[in-house]
Amino acid sequence: MATASAPEVAAGDLALLIPVGADVYAVRLASVREVVVAPRVTQLPTAPPTVRGVFNVRGDIVPLLDTGLLLGLRAVADEPYAVLIETAHGVAGLVATGMPATARLRESVGRSDLEGTTETHLIDDTRLAVVLDLATLLNPVRISR
Amino acid sequence: MSPPEPLPEGDFQRLFATEAEGRLDTLVDELLELEKGGSGPELLASLFREAHTIKGGAAVVGMGHVARVAHALEDLLEEVRSDRRGVDASLIDAVLAGVDAIRALIPLAVAGQDHEQAASEAERRLRIALGGDGSVEAVAPRAAAPSTAPAPAPPTSTRDVTGEVSASLPDEEPTRIPSSAPAERDASDGARGSEDGARSGDRTAEADPAATHVEPARPAAVEMLQMPVHRIDDLVRLIGEASAATLRLGSALLEHLDRDPAGVAEYRDLVRSLNELQELALRARMIPVMSLAPRLRRAVRDLAHETGKEVRFETRGEDAEIDRGVLERLADPLLHLVRNAVDHGIETPDERRLLGKPIEGTVRLHAMQLGSEVVIAVSDDGHGIDVGRVRETAGRTDTSALEMDDESALYLIFRSGLTTATRVTAVSGRGVGLDAVRASLNAVRGRVEVRSDPGLGTEFRIAVPITMTTLRCLVITAAGQPYAIPLHSVRAVLAPQPAATVGGRPMTMVDGRPVPISSLAGVLGTGNGSDGPAVVVAGLTRNHAFKVDDLVDQRDVVVKGLGELIPRLPAVAGAGVQPDGSILLVLEAAGLIDRARRMDAGDRSLEAAEGIGPATAPPRRARSILVVDDALTVRELQRSIFENAGYRVMLANDGEEALREISSERPDLVLTDVQMPRMDGFQLTAAIRGQPALASLPVIILTSRGSDEDRRRGLECGADGYIVKSGFDQSALLAAVERLLGAEQ
Repeated sequence: MATASAPEVAAGDLALLIPVGADVYAVRLASVREVVVAPRVTQLPTAPPTVRGVFNVRGDIVPLLDTGLLLGLRAVADEPYAVLIETAHGVAGLVATGMPATARLRESVGRSDLEGTTETHLIDDTRLAVVLDLATLLNPVRISR
Repeated sequence: MSPPEPLPEGDFQRLFATEAEGRLDTLVDELLELEKGGSGPELLASLFREAHTIKGGAAVVGMGHVARVAHALEDLLEEVRSDRRGVDASLIDAVLAGVDAIRALIPLAVAGQDHEQAASEAERRLRIALGGDGSVEAVAPRAAAPSTAPAPAPPTSTRDVTGEVSASLPDEEPTRIPSSAPAERDASDGARGSEDGARSGDRTAEADPAATHVEPARPAAVEMLQMPVHRIDDLVRLIGEASAATLRLGSALLEHLDRDPAGVAEYRDLVRSLNELQELALRARMIPVMSLAPRLRRAVRDLAHETGKEVRFETRGEDAEIDRGVLERLADPLLHLVRNAVDHGIETPDERRLLGKPIEGTVRLHAMQLGSEVVIAVSDDGHGIDVGRVRETAGRTDTSALEMDDESALYLIFRSGLTTATRVTAVSGRGVGLDAVRASLNAVRGRVEVRSDPGLGTEFRIAVPITMTTLRCLVITAAGQPYAIPLHSVRAVLAPQPAATVGGRPMTMVDGRPVPISSLAGVLGTGNGSDGPAVVVAGLTRNHAFKVDDLVDQRDVVVKGLGELIPRLPAVAGAGVQPDGSILLVLEAAGLIDRARRMDAGDRSLEAAEGIGPATAPPRRARSILVVDDALTVRELQRSIFENAGYRVMLANDGEEALREISSERPDLVLTDVQMPRMDGFQLTAAIRGQPALASLPVIILTSRGSDEDRRRGLECGADGYIVKSGFDQSALLAAVERLLGAEQ
């Protein structure tokens, strides 16, 4: 299984698309362990706002992170899906507000300005997806901010 | 029955490494005893025996370079044992250096790293200490593989502990255990034993432990078995997984078959057996906390020499045991605290003489088991921590530090980069260390508290869970969410009751003493107050009551960490997965109490300032009380009462000391005993009243002298209150203090 430190996804690669609000983000498919539907989240008092809580994945305790806040955007309203990502620091869940789906990324249309992301790719003729820089995003220091 | 599978070669080396660690510790302990004037053939024989055994063991597992150094060490000790050389500091230093070298070489050998040169250098130094020119014999290359190991070379002669000639392995060409042929190995050991026997007559196996690294027969009834630690770890892990699977099975019984698992006898039997198995397996990992003592004693000795101080190292609590993995993580923090005590705490002999203290300072290591925690205290009788300087140093980069009261400021020492040492030594004063101590403790869900009395000394208390796997917990709910509180932290459960306030803080009485009370949901930031029962939890030095919604039950929780991605949350110790798949958070008493106290103190920006203790909070200034009493117990009791009530407490032994305290910092109130050496309470009161600047300083006399004459005299001296100890009532005392302070403000 690849980790977040592996090279991020490029044009032609299979990626998992993660809807967050009105935007769509992409991560390399190999970084994804699975998608959990409606995770049963336990709030973690005193944790930073980026941590929405923890949930149980077959006996493992996994933190669920607010993808919006991690990107410096608005907090997500709810957590209908959790995308489990393998990182160098363990497994983390990223909130997806819509059903994640796989897609092959098309050409890049340029670098994304958003911190914690890399390129923006076309995923069909009209839609774009911003590739997440998982090593930067899923980092204890960033999560604690 | 098939023969047992032989241990891989690496396992033998690790086994030897573990054994050698203990023997090196013993060597150090005995050397320090020798240095202190201990003597006698038994001590010398034991020293020699340890070196001899290490040499033999190293040779047997293929650590030829280590064996050579041990051999040189043995030769040096032999010089002493045979009275050819006396014991002096240079000898002790040389032997200790040899011990250090062996300790450093063994891990290199286990890891297969090159250590030949380091070994030669260590051997050379030992030979120089022996009076030689330090020349080292050529070293034979290490055998490449067990299968090509050379046959045992003819034994060389040396002297055993009884002074008889015995045999040991030649150092240059160590014999290694053929890992593929245990039967052969046994035969080989047996053969050596025969040779020994032939050379030494009726000598028993105990006389030459080097013949094999297996412990000689002991008279004790308990048979011991050494095994690689990872086997126990694997066992513990598998039992933990089996426990978790059993919980899921119970859940499935309920969900799919509608059977309450508690009513299924087979399920209950399975759970009971697993619990017993888990307890036994965990116990197998336990080792005495004091197994670290030799290393710490050595550190104290070395640093005392280096700094020209005289320091005695004392230990208490030999019975306290702890999980081996936890103790390993404690070694460095404890070493750091002990070094700090010597380097920064204990004064030089001249300073101590001037202060009227015994020339020899004392550093104490005290371990005790409290429930499922072990508390380890490192204390010294040095000059204590200069809180003013800590505050001033921290204030250079963080002005909020300047506003902190003494207790909060004291915890600034755990901040990275902070040192108040005026000189930097090899071991301390660089501002790195105490933050690392805190970080190491965080990793084992431990915590540290510090208390310092100026002029009297400092105590660091470390509390760590005995094991990091299963905790018996009280489960409660707060703001609708269940939480587990480790049962060992729970002091009492109180029925719902109306809150009272003391000193402006909500308080409840527990065993006749005031204890602060807060809403758990409020402290956790998940909700508001509750009218439910309260749970009184204990930190290391103080209790606190938390109001909850409901008490649910008691249960064992297999506690897991929250992972590396989430920062450490001081109020949350970990979490367990429940049979229904939900997650139960386990709270940590000390972290909760700190958080509650900081919130009481008005610090609402806790999220940004999570750390240990109240270090990062700039709380309001607590009112201070100077407690003057020559009885330590009374002082501490009063300190506890007032600190629990939210006051800052200053202490003095007698009237004279009290006046000095007052001149350096004016307290808000003085509470004094009457009968004290040098200056009694009446004289103190009169002296305070004699100073115009202190005319309004409230003074309460608390004494066992209850006669009318005494009372009259107290009031004549100018005391504002006179309380007789025989009618001592904490509530009345607090009320009197509150009344006087209220009037003063």
